[in-house]
Amino acid sequence: MVAHLVRLKLTLLRNIFRRSRAQAIGAILGVVYFGAVVIMLGVGVAALRTELPDARLYVPLGGALLVLAWGLLPLLTFGTDPTLDPARFATFAVPYRQLAVGLVLAGLFGLPALACAVVIAGTLVTWSVSVLATVVAVAAAAAGLLTCVTLSRWVSARASSAMSSRRGRDLTAILGLLVVVALGPGLALAGSTVERFATIMPTIGTIAGWTPFGWIWAAPADIAVGQVGTGLLRLVLGLAFLGALGVLWQGALRRQVEDPTVVGSPDAGRAHRGLGLLARFPDTQTGAVAAQIATYWQRDPRYQIGLLMAPLVPLLLLVPAIMGGQEWSFLLMGPLIAFLLGWSEHNSVAYESTAFWMHVAAGTPGRVDRAARIVPSLVLAAVLIPLYCIVGAWLAHRLDLLAAMVGLCLALAGVGYGISSVISVVMPYPVPKPGENPLTTPPGGQGARLLSQTISSLGTALLASPVIVLALLTWWGREWALWPTAVGGILLGAGVLVLGVRVGGRIYDRRAPELLSALVRD
Amino acid sequence: MTDLSMLPPPSGEAAGGPAIAVRGLGRRFGEVIAVAGIDLDVPRGSFFGLVGPNGAGKTTTLSMMTGLLRPDAGTAVVLGHDVWADPVAAKRLLGILPDGLRIFDRLTGLQLVTYAGLLRGLTREVAAERAAELIRALGLEEARDKLVVDYSAGMSKKVTLASALVHGPRVLVLDEPFEAVDPVSATTIRRILADFISVGGTVILSSHVMDLVERTCSHVAVLARGEVLATGTVDEVRAGQSLEERFVDLVGGATEVEGLEWLRTSSD
Repeated sequence: MVAHLVRLKLTLLRNIFRRSRAQAIGAILGVVYFGAVVIMLGVGVAALRTELPDARLYVPLGGALLVLAWGLLPLLTFGTDPTLDPARFATFAVPYRQLAVGLVLAGLFGLPALACAVVIAGTLVTWSVSVLATVVAVAAAAAGLLTCVTLSRWVSARASSAMSSRRGRDLTAILGLLVVVALGPGLALAGSTVERFATIMPTIGTIAGWTPFGWIWAAPADIAVGQVGTGLLRLVLGLAFLGALGVLWQGALRRQVEDPTVVGSPDAGRAHRGLGLLARFPDTQTGAVAAQIATYWQRDPRYQIGLLMAPLVPLLLLVPAIMGGQEWSFLLMGPLIAFLLGWSEHNSVAYESTAFWMHVAAGTPGRVDRAARIVPSLVLAAVLIPLYCIVGAWLAHRLDLLAAMVGLCLALAGVGYGISSVISVVMPYPVPKPGENPLTTPPGGQGARLLSQTISSLGTALLASPVIVLALLTWWGREWALWPTAVGGILLGAGVLVLGVRVGGRIYDRRAPELLSALVRD
Repeated sequence: MTDLSMLPPPSGEAAGGPAIAVRGLGRRFGEVIAVAGIDLDVPRGSFFGLVGPNGAGKTTTLSMMTGLLRPDAGTAVVLGHDVWADPVAAKRLLGILPDGLRIFDRLTGLQLVTYAGLLRGLTREVAAERAAELIRALGLEEARDKLVVDYSAGMSKKVTLASALVHGPRVLVLDEPFEAVDPVSATTIRRILADFISVGGTVILSSHVMDLVERTCSHVAVLARGEVLATGTVDEVRAGQSLEERFVDLVGGATEVEGLEWLRTSSD
């Protein structure tokens, strides 16, 4: 049975390379690239051999983080590896113990586990200073890798019952997003305090080595530096932790196989009374479509992510401004959000997926669809653009530039919306489907994605360039350019927006069925 | 006795002309010919069944009739309006329930049906009123404030049917309307469709349940490999046999099960 599961996993692994030729080439390039990175990491770990005291701090820390990552991964990716979901084996009569062992061993034959195995192999070199240390290092490496895989299996088994409900899935996706968003500023903060970091690292390393995640990695280190007693203690503790995880995993597996109904059980669902936003927008076709999209912004994690991200992105500019003392970068906050809001509508139809047929079947006029689609984003822009313009100008002590900044922002946003209104009908590309993890990138359509994103961003920059030049002149002290920037920006932005909606609407009237066909294919 | 030859010849469009007239309609996907230039007349007031084996081209045909998929060749005319030359007028007369396409499932049932009405240009008051009525008629009253994504497959079918009916279409095009629907709901739906026909509407539906088509439909067309093999009233097409027997005769293919002897062992 264990052999069957491992063979199944190997077949799945091979099938990665057996899809279309382009995907196979992509996969091979990916494997080569990440393979090189992984081997370099392994060599780096091995090179710590010459600095044993340092190695004793950093290897357990790295190992503990590795285990932690394996534990968090299934939460971020919906249990990336649904191929070996225990619930899928519910209809086969496989003894629990064999299934539990088999699934963990099969997990070793995934690309992430193979990559970790290579890095962990580096520790064998690091600790090979004595016979005892080498033996313990081999045992610890094997046990460490098994700890990673078992923990991830247990977490994904527990999580998959929580995530079988739509609400659970949505919630997890949002949590995952917050982790990702926090990662950037977190790393920037860590980098800025790098000096203090160096002084507290030893403490962190020591603590990590005494956590359950670190025990197994610290054991060979102790023995390599001669502390045999401590080393054996941590080896026993580490193995006991692995054993405990094994028991937990087997229990979770048993529950999932015995009661597979938890998978896909319908969500009771909170009631949303009445017509909601459909009753609040103007009683026109445009109002109805805009209300539908605004409702999706409230309820669909794929939009919620955008909604959460957009207001936060300009805050990234605080990093160079505060760290490097570059006050002028505050001024970019408004233009950045203006550009992002307009540009990010360039694939708006694809998010509806095949539900778009309702618009085609109703024969919704193109200009109605085009205009309504940007309304919710326009409302957001009406709040965020003035806010960031004023805050940015105030922080940079350049309130005198405010008029020019408003002009520039309106130009960027208006041109962006205009171009998006055309591009989203002409070249939609695949996005995560409703209910899928918003953070994944669906396979295929990479070329279309790149083309569409490039055209819409370069096109926005190009069409807005007269106003961008005027804004730069204003900033360089040519005061005569202030009001031309403001007025020109308003006129250009509004003009391109209206033109884009018209042209996009006309193309939509002609091509709506083809657009639907493209969405069906994806 | 009046000499009929003295009267002027009839002019204009005959009121009895077909609800849907399809001429030379064809579509290929790459190398595969999904629909091979078919002719089909769906008489006014008929309950028309389109039957065929899996992959016969039923969904492709219905999509081309309703303006969802552009044909490579041929025309589809709904009550005198060409679907592809005059889509606005044709689409106003059509109510559609497609198969295998998503719906706006993050709306509640009530919101979805109302939204379908608003898209068709109804005022909010009328749309909301009709939506509530349809939802009640289809037995979705308790789920009307829940998100459609949390509905069962049969409930989703019913709410999509309600969306197809909300603007008062003249012709209903339904792709597999009874799939995943429980017997009680199926009876309700059949009754609603019968009412719809009795007031002058026309229904065309696809199915591969012969029994259901034989019992409910007045007319039927058999489609296989993208071609119409037979069409007419149900009695004409089945020609004394049961529709299922006639279907298997027409479509061909082996029904004898070979092998699988081990499956018949009763010893344990």
